[in-house]
Amino acid sequence: MTEALPESAVSIQLSVPASILPASLVVLSLAFLFALLLRKKKQSRKKGQSDWSIPHLDRHADLDSFFHNWNPAVKVASLFLYCFLVVSLKTLVCSAAALMISILAVYFSKLPWRRSLQRLAAMSGFLIMFLLVLPFTSKEQPGEILLIFPLFPGFPFHLNGFLLALTIVVKACAIALLMEPMLGTSTFSATLQGFSRIGIPSPIIQMILLSHRYLFVFQQELVRMLRSMRVRGFTARTDILTMKTMGNFFGMLFINSYDRTQKVYEAMLCRGYRGDFPTFHTQEVNGKDLAKGGMWIMIGFILLLTELMPSLPSP
Amino acid sequence: MHISDGVLPTTISMAAYAATALGAGLSLKKIRQEDLPKIAVVTSSFFVASLIHLPLGPTSVHLLMPGIVGALLGSAAFLSITVGLFLQSILFQFGGLTALGANAIMMGLPALFCGLFFQAIRGKTLLRNTLAGALAGGLGILLAASILAAFLYTSGEDFIGVAKLALAAHIPVIIIEAAVSAFTVSFIFRVKPELLHSVLR
Repeated sequence: MTEALPESAVSIQLSVPASILPASLVVLSLAFLFALLLRKKKQSRKKGQSDWSIPHLDRHADLDSFFHNWNPAVKVASLFLYCFLVVSLKTLVCSAAALMISILAVYFSKLPWRRSLQRLAAMSGFLIMFLLVLPFTSKEQPGEILLIFPLFPGFPFHLNGFLLALTIVVKACAIALLMEPMLGTSTFSATLQGFSRIGIPSPIIQMILLSHRYLFVFQQELVRMLRSMRVRGFTARTDILTMKTMGNFFGMLFINSYDRTQKVYEAMLCRGYRGDFPTFHTQEVNGKDLAKGGMWIMIGFILLLTELMPSLPSP
Repeated sequence: MHISDGVLPTTISMAAYAATALGAGLSLKKIRQEDLPKIAVVTSSFFVASLIHLPLGPTSVHLLMPGIVGALLGSAAFLSITVGLFLQSILFQFGGLTALGANAIMMGLPALFCGLFFQAIRGKTLLRNTLAGALAGGLGILLAASILAAFLYTSGEDFIGVAKLALAAHIPVIIIEAAVSAFTVSFIFRVKPELLHSVLR
């Protein structure tokens, strides 16, 4: 049993495709570097002040592309299913292929890269934790490759754990990059109509619409309140005074919002609200929309089936 | 901390979606139709509040507030949190769309529990309300972190290390959240106490 160990270790080393690993590493590190740069630039521009602005999802919904000309209901339904297929991938090779497809999708959607990169940056904290922790804590498997660093002999670096973490990161990036083409290429209400067509109940859709509308109102209120706090000499620190001030601040924000609800509701009733928002534009689904949807789902299944072929390694 | 796409196995994220649909459905049934717009408006204020980062030594943390949401909204909290997380996911990519179910369970269940807990122990005096607010706030994060760790743990033996780290990383958040929640509840108790036995439940 012990004699068989080194042999199987070698075979695993060979079965990791030598070209994919460095390639995906390069892509990833570039993406993260870019995202970090973006963040830093934004921070330096604001001079230490945090940015609490809320992005407009559908700012570029009036362009003309593969995704823009796609019926929102079919788009949301098929890409949502596709995302689940990508999540089900287990190998690095297929996940990297999915990442490439997503990069192409962002390219063909003609949307600016900035928002997509911001999405990657938003996940980076959570994903970097996996990249740093998994290689050192994953379960030891017979015949796997361990790298032992000279300074930390107690913490061997598991190649399997690293590959698992990398697969997770690649899958997460693949799906996150697909979000802008999926959600940013139709107007927000059309996208939500798409979600309601795939079975989300209409009261919830209305709540989402209304909440989304009021996010911007409260964001402005928040900026205004914070500004007046700064004028009075408040600076956030790690102390009990900051927590007390912020506690009162949140209390005020919630009370304001609660007081507003009644007014909002009455204003809605005045304008004839009867429990749902009427929609005036319902795009017809044509054969082309369905063909696009079918294509995406097929790509997802092809990726999934490729994995089942015995020639590919499963890290 | 939100779970992003690609971490949980498909079976678990699907099961979490089913559980979230059930929870949101039950929540929806209990709420009067005319309260839905109001809950939506309050939800956006919670959303905006969770964007604020408080400094913690060299880094910063943002508040998650399952405890406060539960205390203020009662049984509507689950729905409110699900809507909020959906918006966070599609606007900021905080938590993936495929992991939305898991994230909603992770934040929604603690909110429901903390709401009941808060109402049970809050009593009538300012001091007791403040203490109840602190306990509900801290407990909310503790439960959320535990559910996160449980999700990671059930996803495979490889994730045990990450689960432990995630649990440990939430300890400072528990303390800050408890303190801020205490002050928030004490403020609301003094200014508009009827909010604490809210009409929106």
